[in-house]
Amino acid sequence: MRHLIPLFAAAVLAAGPATGQQATNAPAGNFRLTDMTGKAVQLSDYKGRTVVLEWNNPECPFVKKHYAGNMQRTQAAAKRDGVVWLTINSGAPGKQGHLTPEGARAYVSGVKAQPAAYLLDPQGQVGKGYAAKTTPHMYVIDGKGVLRYQGGIDDKPTPDPADVAGARNHVLAALSELKAGKPVSVPETRPYGCSVKYAG
Amino acid sequence: MYDRSMSVRQAALFLLTMLAALIGSPLAAQERHLAIEIVPETTRPAAGSRVTLALASTPAPEWHAYWINGGDAGVPTTANWTLPAGVTAGPLRYPVPERLLVSGLMNYVYERPFAHLVDLTVPAGLTAGTRLPITLKLDYLVCTREICVPEKQTLTTELTVGDGAVDAATQARFDAWRRAMPRPLGAEARYAVADGRFRLSVPFPAGAELGEAYFYPLAGGAADFAAPQSVTREGDALLIETKAAALGQPPARLDGVLAVGEGRGFSLVATPGPVAAATGGAAGWGWGAALAAFGGALLGGLLLNVMPCVFPILSLKALSLARSGADAGGARREALAYTAGVVAVCVALGAVILGLRAGGASTGWAFQLTDPRMVLLLLLLAVGIALNLSGLFELPTPRFAGESGASGAFATGALAAFVATPCSGPFMAGALGAALVLPAAAALAVFAGLGLGLALPFLLIGFVPALRRALPRPGPWMRTFRHVLSVPMWLTAVGLAWLLGRMAGVNAMTLGLIAALGAGLALWWLGARQGRGRGGGVAWAAVALVAVAGTFGVPRVGAKAEALAEARDEAFTEPRLAALRAGGRPVFAYFTADWCLTCKVNEAGAIDRAAVRTAFDAAKVAVLVGDWTNGDPALGRFIERHNRAGVPLYLWYEPGASAPRVLPQVLTPSMLTALADQRRG
Repeated sequence: MRHLIPLFAAAVLAAGPATGQQATNAPAGNFRLTDMTGKAVQLSDYKGRTVVLEWNNPECPFVKKHYAGNMQRTQAAAKRDGVVWLTINSGAPGKQGHLTPEGARAYVSGVKAQPAAYLLDPQGQVGKGYAAKTTPHMYVIDGKGVLRYQGGIDDKPTPDPADVAGARNHVLAALSELKAGKPVSVPETRPYGCSVKYAG
Repeated sequence: MYDRSMSVRQAALFLLTMLAALIGSPLAAQERHLAIEIVPETTRPAAGSRVTLALASTPAPEWHAYWINGGDAGVPTTANWTLPAGVTAGPLRYPVPERLLVSGLMNYVYERPFAHLVDLTVPAGLTAGTRLPITLKLDYLVCTREICVPEKQTLTTELTVGDGAVDAATQARFDAWRRAMPRPLGAEARYAVADGRFRLSVPFPAGAELGEAYFYPLAGGAADFAAPQSVTREGDALLIETKAAALGQPPARLDGVLAVGEGRGFSLVATPGPVAAATGGAAGWGWGAALAAFGGALLGGLLLNVMPCVFPILSLKALSLARSGADAGGARREALAYTAGVVAVCVALGAVILGLRAGGASTGWAFQLTDPRMVLLLLLLAVGIALNLSGLFELPTPRFAGESGASGAFATGALAAFVATPCSGPFMAGALGAALVLPAAAALAVFAGLGLGLALPFLLIGFVPALRRALPRPGPWMRTFRHVLSVPMWLTAVGLAWLLGRMAGVNAMTLGLIAALGAGLALWWLGARQGRGRGGGVAWAAVALVAVAGTFGVPRVGAKAEALAEARDEAFTEPRLAALRAGGRPVFAYFTADWCLTCKVNEAGAIDRAAVRTAFDAAKVAVLVGDWTNGDPALGRFIERHNRAGVPLYLWYEPGASAPRVLPQVLTPSMLTALADQRRG
């Protein structure tokens, strides 16, 4: 990083809950978090590559619905195209779905997930900075750091894994449109799932 | 031995654990956090009718179920029906929800027992006794503040085609559930999204009761769910303002529910259109508006000085100052005391209005004039002042108009401000209306501005010696001038008497005039005693007695007058309707509510017109009025039977006709007179 973008997470911390809505088709706010292996990961590290953000709570039934195979398939497809997949857990300590680094490692290997990194955000700073409301809540950021999609993973807002089959996977659709150099046709949808279990 | 006993104990423990797991696990798997009972309004619906089913639901403690729009998270309930051929089910209807803000995320939920209602249509032509098994598979989400669980339940019930009879206990339960349903407001709202703000303007009559209001949008894209909403009432509109939604496009049609407190609410539709920012409210309010209102109030107060109610008092005060030849310091002291008196009364009146507003009452400036007793007191006061100006008697201590000294000046100021209110209404409506929606401190500043304006001329006389010198020299002409000044005061009294008559009827006006005569006689007596140089205590007591007696008398007489006016339209009941129809009379039934603006417009513009009433009387049309302000379930059922979900509803029953004519929701006088005339012709 030649020019240091001030980490918006610090600013968001002062601003309070869910205030840092990111505008679609505008540069996505940078952030830095520690991943499950203890490594610091910064969004700007991946400039030039498409990045997917996935908000995760292992115990949320809607997350479980997609980790019955759909999320792993989506991650694999993204990986094949060189897309960076960052899974973020904003669950506060003591709340449902909060993971320690060890817990996160066990979870990721247990469900055979393939994120580039599983990031821990127990203070909820990045979650609130992105106004992540539900698990799952998905964001796609292009190689220039511009937010191109935010919303649900698909258009079937149910907890039933059987509904994955007929659904439109908004993330895969956005990724393939970006790859083809086309604008994302559905840039915003309403996310669905459990509320993110922020502190407070 | 020891080891063996341990292993036996362990084995026993293991067995017990296994047993517990065996018994416990199926129970745990079936443990639900929402108990749902499916209740048909009647188990014996008639063929070709509609039967309502309730899904009476009770969340477990700490758990909540979601409204159709769950807010920032949550999913709506889905219903999958298995129904006999020909039977169809409508959509689930949701009661008015509650709000639950968790860590900055908004949830629209039910934490207390609630019921969805759904209408089933039973086809015609089924023979009585036909069994109709109903199966409903529900998928829904229940959450605590911590965790969410999607649950499924399959509910069954069986209906038998019959006579549609509803038992009283079930009826009572459905009445309670229907009360919790949002009622259609019957008027279209407008909304605008601009500069990151969402503004909604809902037609809502100024006089309608309103508790804690909140707008629940059915869809996203317009209003932010979690941001607090500010609610302002401006005339016949309710303005709701909050942060605009950060994502999505504002829809062409925004459905939602306006909750008005105590679990009641209205369903409404808002379309995009211009919505001005509230003049009040936390966000849209600026110092510019307050300053404009203050300036308006100041000018208005100044203008009040030449009004018939105030001018005599002011003139006398000014003349007394000139006459007394007080030194500059004394004049200034008096001017300041007068100003203090005026401003104190204006601010006090303003504070009372604000207090009443905060308490939910609908009041405006000159609110004291809405009480006939206050009007009577003002009438007696005006008569007293006029008689004093006419020279019938003199005012002793405590000093009043015409007397010098700071306390006398203060009292004069207070009197001027109080007496000024009847004159101020038409001139002040704008500025004071604005004041009422400003934050309390700014509103009080505006009331103070009104007082300052009213006091300004006297303040100038007190502080500018040149002005004082310009006042004419005291002389015998002042006596005549004082008598002349009684004329505008008499006019004020006439105006107040008219107002009393308008408010409480001719009897109350007569009573007021008798009281005025009594007070006049007592004051005459007082003047006579003063002429003989004797004390006035007895005469003052007589004046006070007249005032008190009149005050007690007026509301009684007035109440009768009001009761007569209201008795004109009989309250609607189905037996009364049946009786009138059996008697062969044409019946016009109208259904209204205090919160229904369209209803009020139709009543003022058509139903209550003299021409309509004359035509109705000539054709012997019976008029029945159903007041749905409080959501009476019996009326609600009747209204629903006419395929209307709410008011206004206008029904015309021709004698002999089997069904009523449902009239349009916008009435004209000619439409109603034509119906009546048709009967005669």
